[in-house]
Amino acid sequence: MGMKRVKRALKNTVAATVAFAFAASSTAALAAECSNDTWNKVMERGKIVVGVKADYKPWGFRSENGDLVGMEIDMAKKVAEIMGVELELVAVQSSNRMQFLEQGKTDMFIATMSDRPDRREIVGIIQPNYYTSGTNVLAPKALGISSWEDLRGKPVCGKQGAFYNKIVTERYGAEVVAFTGNAEAKQALRDRKCIAWVYDDSSIGSDLASGNWDDFEMPLNSEDDNPWGLAVPLAEKNCIFGNFMSGVVFNMLQSGELIELEKKWGIQPTAFLADKKDKYGDWLANQ
Amino acid sequence: MSARPIPGIDGKAATDLPVLKPFDPQGRAAHDPYMLTRMVARLNAWHVLTLFAVIALWPAVAHAQSNYTYGEAFAALWKWIPFVVQQGFLFNILISFFAMAIGTAAGAILGLMQISPSAFVRYPAAFITQLFRNSPWLVLLFIVLLAFPFEIEIFGFIIPIPAWMKAVFGLSLPIMANIAEVVRGAVQSVPSGQWEASQSLGFSRRQTLWEIILPQCFKRMIPPWMNWYAILTMATPLCSLLGVEEIVTLSRQAIEAEDNHPELLVPFFGFALLIFFAYCYPIARWTIALERRFAVKL
Repeated sequence: MGMKRVKRALKNTVAATVAFAFAASSTAALAAECSNDTWNKVMERGKIVVGVKADYKPWGFRSENGDLVGMEIDMAKKVAEIMGVELELVAVQSSNRMQFLEQGKTDMFIATMSDRPDRREIVGIIQPNYYTSGTNVLAPKALGISSWEDLRGKPVCGKQGAFYNKIVTERYGAEVVAFTGNAEAKQALRDRKCIAWVYDDSSIGSDLASGNWDDFEMPLNSEDDNPWGLAVPLAEKNCIFGNFMSGVVFNMLQSGELIELEKKWGIQPTAFLADKKDKYGDWLANQ
Repeated sequence: MSARPIPGIDGKAATDLPVLKPFDPQGRAAHDPYMLTRMVARLNAWHVLTLFAVIALWPAVAHAQSNYTYGEAFAALWKWIPFVVQQGFLFNILISFFAMAIGTAAGAILGLMQISPSAFVRYPAAFITQLFRNSPWLVLLFIVLLAFPFEIEIFGFIIPIPAWMKAVFGLSLPIMANIAEVVRGAVQSVPSGQWEASQSLGFSRRQTLWEIILPQCFKRMIPPWMNWYAILTMATPLCSLLGVEEIVTLSRQAIEAEDNHPELLVPFFGFALLIFFAYCYPIARWTIALERRFAVKL
């Protein structure tokens, strides 16, 4: 008798679980259509939370009073201005920018992220891309490094969270030692703990131009020239939020606003932005 | 530093009578829960002056490798000190305060549960204590920071939980477990004769605990409690690994804003070291002094 009761209870539990699972899967199916949760939340609260870098001068860094400033912060300001909402900036790192967006801690991020296929599966990376950079190394002149193959089996310093750490490991067999900060990585390079520092070519270029790295060079051809993308939650990429952001980025590229910002923050002008301005140019304006 | 020397640390030992140490069959030194605090407290003025000298004289000994001088690096540090302290170090203190408060309250309950006469209370409490005492702090921090929501909604009110608050929860777990052990140990260190005496005087178990035993424990719990506070404070920079904005995270951001010159590393992290030392050293001295004063007389 007792056994029967247990069996019946079990059966009921299984039935309930199955019903629940069905209900859950049908809401999941609905979510594939546009629920616009984040967009609606932003509009309701009148505030957009944007993840930006605090450790990537001049795209996102701190001013002396602690405010976040930089080229990408200016872009975030523009977004909030168009939406007519307040802007809240959250400092993110390469290693947590996607998690923060997934958790909903940020509504979107503009955080120097290279647009990679594996990342597109996690967050909604917006087209068109707004910037680009390639990978290169800073190495002592004395070593005479002339090709990427020279890095094979050698220790190379890098920054945690950069996608090309994996590439130089897999493609060229370098042993990447990744640091949390660039200053630490550069100190390690000077201490000869590694033969080169792998990083964005534009950043290495400005270091060399500063005159503080006279015994060093950027000896290789930049590889993996990789466009950057800002991101919204994956579920909203093809909804209001994603389409809106595509429009914002397109207009900033077309109007040359990004070129202005590049100039404002003292970044070496890139062919990428000039090309895009040309390509997207308003056909009536040029007549 | 402090005017009055602590006997046995930097002063003459208070007694020259032979002291019976706990018996250990393998002849090892007895476990010292105050090891870290004792180490810090043992530093004297010379150590501190040497530390200052190393950081201040670093530019003179370091091999100049670029046009960026240590003078410029220290000037940069000077400029950033208000930011690093007000928005960074204050959060380390805040995190340690709250984590200690939560850890103490929860730990006291957990410690008393461990001495409960009921096995249903005692065993789970012992399990929780051992679980959190023996987990790496960083792992606990990771779990809490990633698993906790960033905001909660109660009756339509949205209450944000900032990252540093989550760090508070994460750090309060190991503190809770260790304080539980402190409480349990303190209660058990009271001679059992006192329990029997109060029972014979007609006190209930609760009365015995609250009115006889715990008042005696309180005093002897203070030194280990402060010991754990100092350890906790020194552990707060762990949060920087998870992006919580505290002194190490912000120092790193300030270094970035100053163009990442490697020359900035020693001034900035040296400053962090000094400020932690300035905060923890008096606590360590005081702890060891209290520990001496409250030590069970043998």
